[in-house]
Amino acid sequence: MNRWDIVTDLGMRIAFMAAVYGVFAIMLPSYRTVSGVAALLDGAVLIGVVAVGVGITMLAGEFDLSVGSLAAVVGVLTVNMIIAGMNVVPAVLIAILAAAIFGGLQGLVIAVTGINSLAFTIGTLICLRGFALIISNQNSVTIPVPRLGETDFLAARILGVLSPMSITMFSIFVLGFLFLNYTVWGREIYAIGGGRAEARAAGVSTIKPVVIAFAVSGALAGLGGALSSVRLGSATPLGFDTLLLSVVTACLMGGVALEGGRGSVFGIFIGLLTLRFLVGGAASLGAPYWLQSLAIGALLILAIVVQMLINIIRRHASDTRARPQSA
Amino acid sequence: MMSKTIMASLPQIYRGISAAKRRRTIILGTAAIGLLVLIGGATTPGFLTLDNLLIVIRAASITGIVALGMSYITISGNLFALSAEELAVLSACVFAWLMRAHYDLAAGLVLTLVFAGSAGGIQGAIIARGADPIITTLAFGALFRGVASLVSNNKNILLETDAAQWLGTGRPLGIPTQSWVFVILTIVAWFVLQRTRFGRQLLLIGANRQAAMATGFQVGQASLVALTLFGLCCGMAGISAASQFGLAVANLFDGLNVDVIAAVLVGGISLRGGQGTPLQAALGAIFIALLQNYMLLHSFTSGQRMLVVGCLVAAATLGFHIIQRRRA
Repeated sequence: MNRWDIVTDLGMRIAFMAAVYGVFAIMLPSYRTVSGVAALLDGAVLIGVVAVGVGITMLAGEFDLSVGSLAAVVGVLTVNMIIAGMNVVPAVLIAILAAAIFGGLQGLVIAVTGINSLAFTIGTLICLRGFALIISNQNSVTIPVPRLGETDFLAARILGVLSPMSITMFSIFVLGFLFLNYTVWGREIYAIGGGRAEARAAGVSTIKPVVIAFAVSGALAGLGGALSSVRLGSATPLGFDTLLLSVVTACLMGGVALEGGRGSVFGIFIGLLTLRFLVGGAASLGAPYWLQSLAIGALLILAIVVQMLINIIRRHASDTRARPQSA
Repeated sequence: MMSKTIMASLPQIYRGISAAKRRRTIILGTAAIGLLVLIGGATTPGFLTLDNLLIVIRAASITGIVALGMSYITISGNLFALSAEELAVLSACVFAWLMRAHYDLAAGLVLTLVFAGSAGGIQGAIIARGADPIITTLAFGALFRGVASLVSNNKNILLETDAAQWLGTGRPLGIPTQSWVFVILTIVAWFVLQRTRFGRQLLLIGANRQAAMATGFQVGQASLVALTLFGLCCGMAGISAASQFGLAVANLFDGLNVDVIAAVLVGGISLRGGQGTPLQAALGAIFIALLQNYMLLHSFTSGQRMLVVGCLVAAATLGFHIIQRRRA
């Protein structure tokens, strides 16, 4: 894909997002108010934050299935530390650090042994779920009522639109963009995702970028899990089981290619908004929560089929272009 | 250029179907099960009884039946499907709905299996067109779950008839029907992969897609058939559970996706494709069920059991990966 293709591709995705927004804005007055949009953004924080991390592993040509379980572990861990008397902010930070270290170690094993990350993260997905059940004693854990006031700052609104939650999400998107585009580590992640052998020939380590990608993915899954658990005031060991589906949908709708090396943080943001506008809109129209799954599935299948058609058309176009030359 | 890649990959193809390697993995698997049975029997009262072993096989059978279908997907080089749980639930709903609508048992069975097979086949057709199997099945899984919730209104669908009951609770010759189905299907799946032209093509396609394409094999068709067979297995799981409990409900198979993939991985089937047999997936399912049973008898909590199984899956995947890399 050249620069022009990338711009058209993103343009189409933005247009689709705008169309989804437009359809619901016609039907739902709340979509046309600032506070309504702010509420939509708040509902996107968990998926958005985790999507940046999963997107980065996808750019590196890997796939991290364990994010949902990791978010559950970190949620329980954070609430447990708060119950034990720790302040909210240090508890969240320590839990995120633990998740980053776990992610980094997972990346190290995958990079050094060259094992398929899908297979390995299925194992860690089960492990982490078990671990979440053990540290929570198989039950939901709750922040004690007298201390719930300490978490109220997360619900505050600045300028009527942004909450500390959505500010965190926007910061992660900006940081992710800067990291991938303007740091050596970020460029190396693109490089190994585009082609391992070529990257190695160009002198890029094939281990360090994978470790970094998984550490970032772990940290962001942790951030998502910790933030939403603190906001709710409780964490359940079996939570976040549908997180992966939403996150992958956001990444794919945003144009992150599964084979690695293609996609951008800005694209993920567009994909996230598309998903959020659709799911939030369906919910506001009175669809029961379990129909979300139907909407997300249909959206994802649409993305797959459109991608398939584009590939077929492109192949056809390049075939017709190649024919006169070979004659 | 193309012929060079084929020449280079020929040894790899032969290695992919080398009988010696296959036998070694199966011997390893059987030995692991034997060891667990011996240790379990020596340390746990009530573990080495015929009744308990029948319970283990029965516990393994739903996961095992679906794992047979999954092994075809993995062996054909399509990684795995993330829609097993959802398709099984939806098949259970379809079967329950047909029974409720007073279709007779045979019609209900056939229609449900046709439905499940086509639901798998649609995914296979899309994957055959070059779409990613993980994403495609994730998307269809979400769709199936949504439709299952929609048709059941997220409540129980009662079968309201005893016609199907023996399918779920019958014990011909003292062995539960699920276990019969599991054992017979294992033999059939193993035979098809090892002894038919289709099976051998599937192995070749999984081992080296480019070479298989250049040889003139229908690469896309293999994905289509593998996913259709997988759909049929999910359908059987759905029918079996619906007739056992007399109802279908949206959370009938919670965690089945992960259990099935765990069975395939613990069985030592590599995600690179082109090697392994359905028998290994069946052994993987039985091994995990044995371990679960052992831990239950020792009153492990569900968290502890998950942690152990997860570590087993990670360790087995890593171990098989390193062994196979050394040989390659």
